[in-house]
Amino acid sequence: MEALRVDDVRKSFRGDLSLRRREVLRGVSLWAEAGEILGFLGPNGAGKTTTIKIILGLLRPDSGSATIFGAPAGGRDAARRIGYLPETPYFHPHLSLREFLEFCGVLSGLSGAGLRGRIGETIDLVGLGPHAGRRLRGFSKGMLQRAGLAQAILHDPDLLVLDEPFSGLDPLGRKTVRDILVDLKGRGRTIFFSSHILPDMEALCDRTAIIREGTVTRSVTLDEIYRLGEGRVEVTARGCAPGTAHDLADYVESAQCSGGETFLLVRRQEFVRTVIQHLYRSGAEVLEVTNHHPSLEEVFLDEFAIRPSPGGTDPAKSRAVGAGAEGRAS
Amino acid sequence: MRAIAAVARSTFRETIREKLLFLVAAYGLVLMVSTWILSPLSVGAARDKIVVDVGLAGISLFGVLTAIMIGGALVHKEIDKKAVYLVLTRPVSRGEYLVGKFAGIMGAIGSLVGLMAVLLVLIMLAGRVEITRVLFAAVALSLVEIAVIAAVVVFFSTFTTPILTSFFTIGVFIAGSLGSDLRAFAQKFGGAAMQRTMDAMYFALPNLTVFNLRSEAVHGLRLTAFEFFAAVLYGTVYAGAMLYFAWLVLRRREFA
Ligand SMILES: Nc1ncnc2c1ncn2[C@@H]1O[C@H](COP(=O)(O)OP(=O)(O)OP(=O)(O)O)[C@@H](O)[C@H]1O
Ligand SMILES: [Mg+2]
Repeated sequence: MEALRVDDVRKSFRGDLSLRRREVLRGVSLWAEAGEILGFLGPNGAGKTTTIKIILGLLRPDSGSATIFGAPAGGRDAARRIGYLPETPYFHPHLSLREFLEFCGVLSGLSGAGLRGRIGETIDLVGLGPHAGRRLRGFSKGMLQRAGLAQAILHDPDLLVLDEPFSGLDPLGRKTVRDILVDLKGRGRTIFFSSHILPDMEALCDRTAIIREGTVTRSVTLDEIYRLGEGRVEVTARGCAPGTAHDLADYVESAQCSGGETFLLVRRQEFVRTVIQHLYRSGAEVLEVTNHHPSLEEVFLDEFAIRPSPGGTDPAKSRAVGAGAEGRAS
Repeated sequence: MRAIAAVARSTFRETIREKLLFLVAAYGLVLMVSTWILSPLSVGAARDKIVVDVGLAGISLFGVLTAIMIGGALVHKEIDKKAVYLVLTRPVSRGEYLVGKFAGIMGAIGSLVGLMAVLLVLIMLAGRVEITRVLFAAVALSLVEIAVIAAVVVFFSTFTTPILTSFFTIGVFIAGSLGSDLRAFAQKFGGAAMQRTMDAMYFALPNLTVFNLRSEAVHGLRLTAFEFFAAVLYGTVYAGAMLYFAWLVLRRREFA
């Protein structure tokens, strides 16, 4: 079953001075299966927060649609099943954490002993136990982020939509959040979150949708990322003769030296033998031969930094760029 | 209903934790100082009238000012700072949110008015001023007037800044307090266009003079139940219409 579907959503904003509208989302499409963790990745200003606000019904799309378990975004049925963490959490500063969660819980339809129990549990879960009675006014950024997560998961929603849940957290906080998300997934909940912290995203997501200038250009699974590197092998050697990289240029994609060791990224499986033989012959010592798995970070940098897009966005072109990356790997 | 109550309670708390009590203290002080200063000048009945007049005027003015200052900032701040995200992304309609906000603001200002009324009665008891039923009717209608102004504030604050909201609402308050005076003035001295504008304003703006029972209270005049309830009904309908317009705005509004 689909927990979340965003279908060809377009959204433009009026510029500050001119009356011309600037199109921020140019046909965003994505979906999340129930029980899946879907990451949302893209550079600053790509349109992640805008997409998320449309999913929550805070913004209306110019065209296209968003549905939550089949219900239209922004409606009561959708709202009942969603938990949301805004990008910059601001909560009523005059309330204590407990009062604040009480307020949120009642709005989500909880009450009585059930609500009180949930509040206690949730506060402990996000690690704010000692601060339950304090006013939010005095909370640090990381504490507010935790309070924000607490209100999002309080009513145990079927779909969690989190806008940068790791921002402002210390390493312990990041682990806490990761553990909470993994636990929720284990209990069949669906999670959709944006983040710039790639290792966290890689560790958590079943799939990652990559957005660039208002269009989702790729949607990759962890398997696919691994497969991108299939056939590529990394060879670590010591005592390479100068000029080795040059000699092997046809077989090796990149060569890096550090601390007397050389890391060679071999283009294809069948070249490995040739490379190792060359190394032995030139008097080098082979230390390690491993399969190379690119990280999400490499995919991300590959998509964005290495070949900056020339001005406008042509979805066809961006897709071609993605295909190019795969083509080169094979 | 539970959602409305939750929003109202939170708004009430927020308002109470702003330093509202200082306003009550200021009111008491102004009232006492003005009566002590004025009382040697006048004796007996005249002094009593001053206490009642100043006391009721103070309640109305402080209540309206609080509604304008606190109400406008409250709604706008919540939208501006995005606290409203947490409410509107839950199964709460925008109408429920509005009604809850309004109820919370009125709850807080109602308590303020209540405290000021108690203070006034205490001062009157201390000064052996006669306490009439019209006095309580006057306080009650002040509260209705404040509700009308608070609804106007909520309406404006769904789409403008607190400063403009205050500006517009003060305009509505002044024009509304003049009641038919402006219209009568236009009918006497203005041209046709002026007359039509004044007619339009007279019907669009709230006629706040119907909530003013100060002269009745001061001079001990009679007040019929019909007059009283007609004023209450008028205020309720007007405030309801304002909240309805606010809902029309908020319903379509996006939160960027
Ligand atoms: N209310 C608004 N009015 C005008 N432009 C806006 C508005 N909100 C967002 N934008 C523009 O839309 C684009 C996308 O913004 P968005 O906040 O969705 O980016 P993002 O992907 O969340 O970025 P970040 O990683 O920095 O959070 C940006 O260029 C931004 O300037
Ligand atoms: Mg963002």
